[in-house]
Amino acid sequence: MPLHDAHYQHWDGVHTGIWTRRWVIAHNGLVACLRNKALRSLMMSCWFGGLMMAGALFCIGQLLVPESSVALWVPKMNPNVQAFVRMLTSWLQDHPEISVGTTQNVLFYYYCVYSLPLSIFALGMALPTLVTRDLASNAIVIYSSKAVTRGDYLLGKFCTAFGVMAMTWLGPVFFGWFMGNLLAPDWKFFWHARIALVHALVFGLCSMVILCSLALGVSAISRREKSTPAIWFIWWALGLAIQPIALHTKPWLRHVGFGYDLRQIGLAVFNLGRDLKTAQDGIPIFGQFLQGISAETRSAINDPTIFGALGGLAIMLIVMALIIRKRVVPE
Amino acid sequence: MASAPVIQTEGLCKLFGQQRALDNVTLKVFPGSIGLLGPNGAGKSTFMKCLLQLQPITSGSAKLLGREVGREGREIRKRVGYAPEQNCHIPGMVGCEYVTYCAQLSGLPFQAARQRAHEMLDFVGMSQERYRKVDSYSTGMKQRLKLAQAIVHDPEIVFLDEPTNGLDPKGQAQILELVQGLWRNYGITVILSSHLLHDVERVCEQIVIIARGRVLVHDTLENLKARKRGAAEVVLARGHRELQAACREKNWACDTLPNGHLRIEHRADTLNPLLTLMDELHLPPLEVIPSPNALEETFVQALEISHAAA
Repeated sequence: MPLHDAHYQHWDGVHTGIWTRRWVIAHNGLVACLRNKALRSLMMSCWFGGLMMAGALFCIGQLLVPESSVALWVPKMNPNVQAFVRMLTSWLQDHPEISVGTTQNVLFYYYCVYSLPLSIFALGMALPTLVTRDLASNAIVIYSSKAVTRGDYLLGKFCTAFGVMAMTWLGPVFFGWFMGNLLAPDWKFFWHARIALVHALVFGLCSMVILCSLALGVSAISRREKSTPAIWFIWWALGLAIQPIALHTKPWLRHVGFGYDLRQIGLAVFNLGRDLKTAQDGIPIFGQFLQGISAETRSAINDPTIFGALGGLAIMLIVMALIIRKRVVPE
Repeated sequence: MASAPVIQTEGLCKLFGQQRALDNVTLKVFPGSIGLLGPNGAGKSTFMKCLLQLQPITSGSAKLLGREVGREGREIRKRVGYAPEQNCHIPGMVGCEYVTYCAQLSGLPFQAARQRAHEMLDFVGMSQERYRKVDSYSTGMKQRLKLAQAIVHDPEIVFLDEPTNGLDPKGQAQILELVQGLWRNYGITVILSSHLLHDVERVCEQIVIIARGRVLVHDTLENLKARKRGAAEVVLARGHRELQAACREKNWACDTLPNGHLRIEHRADTLNPLLTLMDELHLPPLEVIPSPNALEETFVQALEISHAAA
């Protein structure tokens, strides 16, 4: 008999499926991430960005309504801006299918690309909860002795990273799109803006899969909680710093930074060159503005280095897979 | 034994580079409480890890609960519990949360997992500490927690790797009592790996001695003791010299142990000749311990043979 007045009882219930167990790992990781106050604040700011996007789309939509407060406010603006807005308004009214789709496509490209750093930052903060802490505390042994495999464990942790990115990036992007079009003057906005959403989702999901895989690899590099975020941020910063230097020396070096590579994928997915040409042809003032853009920038928009980017990311993913294979094993 | 073996290995080998951690281990273990004995670095933990697929097998085959190790990992581990030697908690979690999580990983739905976690924490004797973060636990509490997570999903077999490491005598006794009860009261096969003979002797009915990656001895404790019959430890109130002299006459080796007891090698299957002699001398014994240190002697003997062979 045990010392304590507590008897062991056998359990004969039904076991859960493997996807439930994977979800348990992912959920536990997300809960651990959300215990971080700084990460919660960052998430809030990301959703605020989505709200701003919805506001911007609402304002653009209101330009089509002659008696709306936004339309009444336009005459009070600077004459140049006023002219641009009037052109945009008339273009929107004349070609709603192209204009809503094109405008939102351009807006969502910039929103996706410029809100991505916040999500990369959030992922960096979540790195210790992915694999690092489990390596440090030998928890890998516990996972490996339960009814899950290493693949299940990694999939669960991948979903944790995916969840963090969904809450800091894809969620706000979708929220911005949905609310912006919900507040638009016509339900047709949803239909016209579908391509922008598809582009945002394709770019978002591709980037998230790549970034989450890279994050898993980085989180497995070290057992120290401070080391893995440091490696992540240094790698990211190095990529940003190397871009302008590499452009005039060895252009292939730009692909060392995952941020640059993802931007190239973004340009290819959103096909911004086509949209800018449409805008240039449709709004003369916009065309004049675009003529001021350097040939280098125009070339970058029209011909993203997609193969270089894919090659660079593929090498990074292979390296991370090797790190995970070597490091994420019970000792 | 009528029941099917819980562990069955055939020529099991595990190499770490050039080092042979397991060398052609062929073994058939039936349900019960099994002690895995061996000096440090003998291959006990590696053997358990190979069975649990925590380490890949280099060659040979192994079956756990009738299933092929390496093919049905998830299914096997659903029915197996493991408490590793080293600490392996998940940082930031409180005790009951950790055990619940472990139960969920073993396939229990959340409600059942939470209920079982509390039951198991009661069973291992943890009260309010379960609401504290695991990071702040003492060694004893961590050992209890490891045991709780190993049995929370009601396994058929549980592997315990040095479960009394770092515990004070009272803590050791409590843990061993719980472990002993797992097989005796609840029918859970226990594989207890330890280098502490006392722990194994107290809890286990079957003994497997491993050294240099090879199985040297595999038998029941009863049989091992039977092999060492012919010796006894006698506690007397008086008349030590008389008994020693009488033993010398009969050509029985008789030594005085540091604790004052006499160790007599009477070389008989039963204690009768010795008891008769004491009766003739009118020396009533306070205590007679048959086959003392049988396990220790077997252990040392096995190691000596192993060293000589190497």
